Formats: sequence, structure tokens, C-alpha cells
Amino acid sequence: MTEKKKAKLTPVLDYLKHEDPFAKGVAFCPGCGLELLLRFIPQVMGNDIVITGTPSCSAPVLLGQNNQSWHKLSYFGTLMTGAAANATGLARYYKKAGIDNTVVCFNGDGTAADIGFGNLSGAAERNEPFIYICYDNEGYMNTGVQKSGTTPYGATTTTTPFGAASKGKNLRRMNLALKMAMHKIPYAATATLSDLGDLAKKLLKAKEMKEKGFCFLHVFAPCPTGWGAAPDNTIEICRRAVKTNYFPLWEAENGKIRMTKTIKKPKPVKTYTELMKKFKFMDEEDHKILQDDVDYEYCILGGLSVLEAECQLPLPADE
Amino acid sequence: MSSNVYFKHEGPWSDANDPLLCSDTGDWRTKRPVVDEENCIVCGFCAIYCPIQVVQMKGETHFEADLDFCKGCGICAKECPKNAISMVSEGEFVK
Ligand SMILES: Cc1ncc(C[n+]2csc(CCOP(=O)(O)OP(=O)(O)O)c2C)c(N)n1
Ligand code: SF4
Ligand code: SF4
Ligand code: SF4
Repeated sequence: MTEKKKAKLTPVLDYLKHEDPFAKGVAFCPGCGLELLLRFIPQVMGNDIVITGTPSCSAPVLLGQNNQSWHKLSYFGTLMTGAAANATGLARYYKKAGIDNTVVCFNGDGTAADIGFGNLSGAAERNEPFIYICYDNEGYMNTGVQKSGTTPYGATTTTTPFGAASKGKNLRRMNLALKMAMHKIPYAATATLSDLGDLAKKLLKAKEMKEKGFCFLHVFAPCPTGWGAAPDNTIEICRRAVKTNYFPLWEAENGKIRMTKTIKKPKPVKTYTELMKKFKFMDEEDHKILQDDVDYEYCILGGLSVLEAECQLPLPADE
Repeated sequence: MSSNVYFKHEGPWSDANDPLLCSDTGDWRTKRPVVDEENCIVCGFCAIYCPIQVVQMKGETHFEADLDFCKGCGICAKECPKNAISMVSEGEFVK
């Protein structure tokens, strides 16, 4: 028998240094991006983290309501309205008690961008020492796919349906990650599941940077059930979101933006939207609106990264 | 693996000292991933992208999914650069 060809093991495996603390069979849909993200975080950051989170698709598993098949991490369930405020309390308690601990406030975009945004912004402004991770499935999935602030233009949801009076969402999505970076917090970044090495680096960096204060990670995590996508396309959707600049990957220290991946020839956004039924009613005109929005957002991001490099932010001196 | 520190605590309706219960998610599957051992180049892409992290290396020669919990999403088959994984209908395995 001839010796078969072997490739080098993907370097991503080197980041998975810790045990997966989740039970094997838990209640996420097949192909759910959130599940991969949830299992990835403690394998990279370590199991010595405390997760807090709100009612959402992550809650049935994080709270163990799924026939007790859940995880070994410490978890603290909070209300959607006060997620970041609760995490603030936890982080302050650990600091006061002299316990070295990483508090991870883990929420969907509905909590982060809409319902719990006020106290998220407040925690960022006060520079509270914890990590806020928003998994972005572009809607309120757990309650049956309603639109959120991060649902993109043209997407159909149960509150922005396609019919005589509505053609899907007719508003642009907000750029939550950029908004958070503009709080000039120590660390803000975007990441997604097709680029797991990049995600791992950002998780580790956040764990390090939380000593300096608030860290925010915005992770694009497709929801095959709510988006009308094939479960096996989850990673491909992430990949195309990056390749079309629909979801650019960057990080910002104290608001200073740096692209962590640049796409030489971005593909038309249509190569991304074609993978999901939620965009299937979009015509050429709608695609132009979405494309223009993507281009505009990317242009602003590029402009800001140049400006931030030129104009120094007067930072208070380190004690 | 490295040492893991668990916080001893009681959850809403379970005890951290109890063994974890696992739902029978393998039962959800309509298609199962079958690995062609000859074609597998042991790159590990299937393992890192599997949402439930049940694909593991088998004796340094190939990767294989734990069918007790694999939900049959097909991501491993799609992401395999050598197309060494095929999704085969569960019906084929019913005796
Ligand atoms: C203040 C408040 N409003 C509404 C709800 C009902 N609710 C429960 S889960 C959920 C969806 C949460 O969406 P998101 O945070 O985006 O997480 P996802 O379900 O998408 O994972 C909503 C609206 C609630 N629990 N609290
Ligand atoms: S509805 Fe979407 S986000 Fe929620 S578990 Fe299913 S795939 Fe995941
Ligand atoms: S992705 Fe394919 S080639 Fe790579 S380890 Fe898995 S089965 Fe083998
Ligand atoms: S089919 Fe899906 S759940 Fe099963 S091993 Fe492959 S990636 Fe994992």
C-alpha cells in the first residue's frame, strides 16, 4: 500500500487548548452558528470564565432547561434590559474580592443592539472590566425571527414580511461594532466563523485587554432556521459575508481601527444574499440599495482607520 | 489536556457534581457523514467547523464523527477540501 498524502493539521486546532465544557447533545438546530461559537469560546479562552446572558436562543442550553443537558461553566441568567449592568456587578464583585475571573456577557443582537443597548453603552463608557460578546444572527430568533436593528435591508422576517404592504425590511442595519468602537474602549472587534483563527486571536486578546477595561466582540453567526439557509452552508455564508465586505473583519484598540483581513477584489453582495431565502424577494433595485450600503459602510471604516492614525486620541496617562 | 477549573455551583435545576446529561441529538439526523479514509488528508477542517465539535482524529489516519450526537448538518462534508466526506441517507443503514 502506498503511503497516503497528509496535509498539515489546521493551526486552528492549536488554539483549542481547553476542554469543551458543553454536553454533547444540546438543543441548537443543526448547522447553528451560535452552537459552534459557544463551544469555541471556552475551548480557546479556558473554562475559568463566567458567562452571563439573557433569554435568547443561547438560554435554553446556557440555563440547562434542555433536560439538564447543558455545561459545566458558571452561568448567570439576566434580563434582556439589563445584561451589561448585571455583568458590571459581577465584574466589580470579583475585582473587589480579589478573584481573578473573566466575565463574559454573551448576548444576541436583539439584546445588544436594541433592548439592552442603553446599559451596554453605559458599561462601555464607564470602561467596566468585562468582555461583551454579541452573536449576531440578525434578528430575534428565539421568539420566532422578528427583525432587529442589525437585520439588513431587504431581509424578510416575521415582522418585515413580503406581501402587498411590505417588501422585507426597508431600513438599513445599524453598525453595532463600529458604534462600540467609537466609545474608545480598550478593545472592540468583529469576527466570524469562517475565520476561526482570527476569532481565536481576538478572544485571547480580549481576555488580555479586559485588564484595561471594556472589550466588545461582534461575531457574525448565521441562523439557518431563521434565514432559510441550508444547514451545511453556515460556514460558506460567513465566508461570503467577509468576501463581499458585507461583514468586514477588523479590530480597534481605543477606537483605532485596523483591518484584520482585507479583500482584494470584493465580490458583489448578491453572491452572499443568494444563499438565503430571507433575501429571495429582493430585485435588482433592492440589491443596489444593499450593495451601496455595504460599500458606504466599508468606505467609512477605511476612512476612519486612516483618520484615527492621523489624529492622536489624547489618552489619560497610565498610572 | 490542561487543567480546568470548574466553579462548584448549583444551577437552576441541576448539581454541578452530577454528570452532564446529553440529549440524543444523533436521533435528529436524516443523513450521516461517511468518511472515505483513503481520501482524507488529515487536515482537521471538518473537526474545527463541526458546530457540535464531535469530529475527532482516529488513529492519526483520518477524522470521524461521533454518530451518537452528530446532527447531520453536513458542514463537515461541505468544508472538506478533498470531498472525502459524503452525506449518506440514514435509510441506507436501516436493516
Ligand atoms: C425585555 C424583554 N422583551 C422581550 C422578551 C422576549 N424575548 C425572549 S427571547 C427574545 C429574543 C432574543 O433575541 P436575541 O437577543 O437577538 O437572541 P436570539 O434569540 O436571536 O438568539 C425575546 C424578544 C424578553 N425576554 N424581555
Ligand atoms: S433558531 Fe437559529 S440561532 Fe436559534 S438555535 Fe436555531 S439556528 Fe441557532
Ligand atoms: S476535512 Fe476532509 S480531508 Fe480534512 S480531515 Fe476532515 S475528512 Fe479528512
Ligand atoms: S454532519 Fe454536522 S454535526 Fe455531523 S459531524 Fe458533520 S459537521 Fe458535525
